[in-house]
Amino acid sequence: MGSIVSLVRANGSKDIGKSVDQAVSLLGFKTTGPIRSVVVKPNLCYYWHASTGYTTDPRVVSGIIDFVRERFGQDINVKVAEADASAMRTKHVFPVLGYTKLAKEKDFELVNLSNDELLDETVKVNGREISFKVPALLKKCDLFVNVPKLKIMRATKITCAMKNIFGCIGFPKKLIYHKFLDEAIVGINKVLHPHLTIVDGLVGLGRCPVKLGLVMAGTDVFSVDWVASQIMGYNPSRVKYLRLSVKEQVGSPDGLVVVGENPAEFARDFPKEGFVASKYLWGVQFWLLNAYRRVTGDVIPPAIEGS
Amino acid sequence: MFLKISKSQSIEKWNVGDLMIRVGIVGLGRMGMLHLMNCSKMDGVKVVAAADSSKKALNKAKALHVDNLSTDYHDILNHPSGLDAVVLSLPNFMHFESIQLALEAGLDVFAEKPLAISVGECREIVGLVEKSGKKLMVGHAMRFVEALETMKQRLDKGQIGDLEVATIEEIINGPFSHPRVPAPVSDWWFDPKKSGGGALLDVGYHMIDLFRFFAGDAEVVFSHLSYKLNLPVEDGAILVLRSPSSVKGIINIGWYQQTVFPKYNFRAILHGTAGYLSSEDLVPHNLYLHAVKEGSKNVLRRIAGRKIRFLYYTYYYESFYKELVHFFDCIRNDSTPIVSAKDGLKTVEIIQAAYDSFHSKPTAQT
Repeated sequence: MGSIVSLVRANGSKDIGKSVDQAVSLLGFKTTGPIRSVVVKPNLCYYWHASTGYTTDPRVVSGIIDFVRERFGQDINVKVAEADASAMRTKHVFPVLGYTKLAKEKDFELVNLSNDELLDETVKVNGREISFKVPALLKKCDLFVNVPKLKIMRATKITCAMKNIFGCIGFPKKLIYHKFLDEAIVGINKVLHPHLTIVDGLVGLGRCPVKLGLVMAGTDVFSVDWVASQIMGYNPSRVKYLRLSVKEQVGSPDGLVVVGENPAEFARDFPKEGFVASKYLWGVQFWLLNAYRRVTGDVIPPAIEGS
Repeated sequence: MFLKISKSQSIEKWNVGDLMIRVGIVGLGRMGMLHLMNCSKMDGVKVVAAADSSKKALNKAKALHVDNLSTDYHDILNHPSGLDAVVLSLPNFMHFESIQLALEAGLDVFAEKPLAISVGECREIVGLVEKSGKKLMVGHAMRFVEALETMKQRLDKGQIGDLEVATIEEIINGPFSHPRVPAPVSDWWFDPKKSGGGALLDVGYHMIDLFRFFAGDAEVVFSHLSYKLNLPVEDGAILVLRSPSSVKGIINIGWYQQTVFPKYNFRAILHGTAGYLSSEDLVPHNLYLHAVKEGSKNVLRRIAGRKIRFLYYTYYYESFYKELVHFFDCIRNDSTPIVSAKDGLKTVEIIQAAYDSFHSKPTAQT
């Protein structure tokens, strides 16, 4: 049998911890050794509130912490970790998105992966050598839990489990990878392997946010993204980084089993974005503006140009 | 390129005359860079100096033919020879010192809002302006938005009778606005000692000034601040204001909304005894179509050899150009800017009163 992905509907905020437990139980998730240290990696890509669908809801992380403590013992060491990004700093994003408050309530440590021990790793993807600064913490911990969002992204069509691993890269200016983003996503997933992925689909983000109430779990990031892609209205075999993952033997949809709720029910409610709208209109708009500026010499605000 | 604006092809309505004003731009962040680009398009204005701690920003200034560049603004303000005026676009906590230095150097000053981060500093600046005899204009750009100018004109003509209530709101993402090329938010925004306040001092400043623009003056009747983003400064505020003639103002502002440029969640509605005026009826609903329409008109004007109207892609970006034109006109004509240091002081006083009112309540933070 191939990989399993479980889907559970969370019916209310009090239900989230129970939904996490249920989603993981459906996987038949087992650990190979004793669990003393757990690192949870949410998606805190920017300062947008969880209700926008951009960032992982602290209530989901809270539910995961309850779950791991119940399963592996109250005295285990739990850390919630995120790395700085081109426009985001963890020192600000933790308080803004409610993680500092949660850390006090639940007594866990918040870690900036960019300031942690970083290992130099180089991998080859699609003939291209890519180097990463990889946080050692994610390799050393007994249990690495990946908690991505379910959302679309212009550059890659979808962003979920594998893209959240890209967010672990310790070097803040991850923009340098955006020219070969699909390769970089596959590359970092050759280096880092979360033991468990729990998708926060409470609010999904398509062309607008939507309350989906979904908690999805899996042990294989590729399989989770394969199902996530279908929910978000994209044929997974046409998502470049998933196709590349198959080619690079990072993952395979063969034998993939979905348990729990039917993905089609969530797909029906997901506000899909047209491919043309998501990829081309944005670029065309800026191309036209820049062309206009070059021809006429008029001013385009720095907000558009980039500072 | 043959369609480019030349210095001889002056811009309709905003021809600034013959006297060359030599300007220094201090601070080349988003606003400073916009001011630099605007000045570079004006007849009768030459940017001769610029300062910023970022060498990348200075390189952009160099590309716009600014010769005197420095990573330390003190170099410009302490050695102002060859300068007539300075445009200050620095972080809030640097406003007081930079304004003081510029006035002492004998320069006319355009300062970004807020005038300063405390009432005490603002009062000192008002004193310094009076002592120096120089001009100081504060960047209350909203007063120069065409739709709001039109509302003011119609109000003054009595088209809606007596003004009773003004509701003015702006909910944006404040310091969290995501530029197209990502860059981290500056730390000073999160330090109340450096920022002086949060959303109320940032966007609320403009809304309070607008109320004063429409209604005369204002005092705080009620204030409520919110802290949804767990910041050390407020990310939202609702104020009730009252003018001396009993016009009521409802101000609703925030930093908490994820909005991406060019979306702009702003509106002002004036409720009078004979009708109402809404800014939403006077601004383009589709900014993309607006840009295309205005851009096309300019291309045709240029082909026909006629004067152009400056385009800023969005209707509200025009205001930043117009406020600077007004400032330079005041220098040329030796007239008083319509937004003075006293207006800056008054706005900060109202904001301080709103802070005091809220924090004096027993259960302040919610």
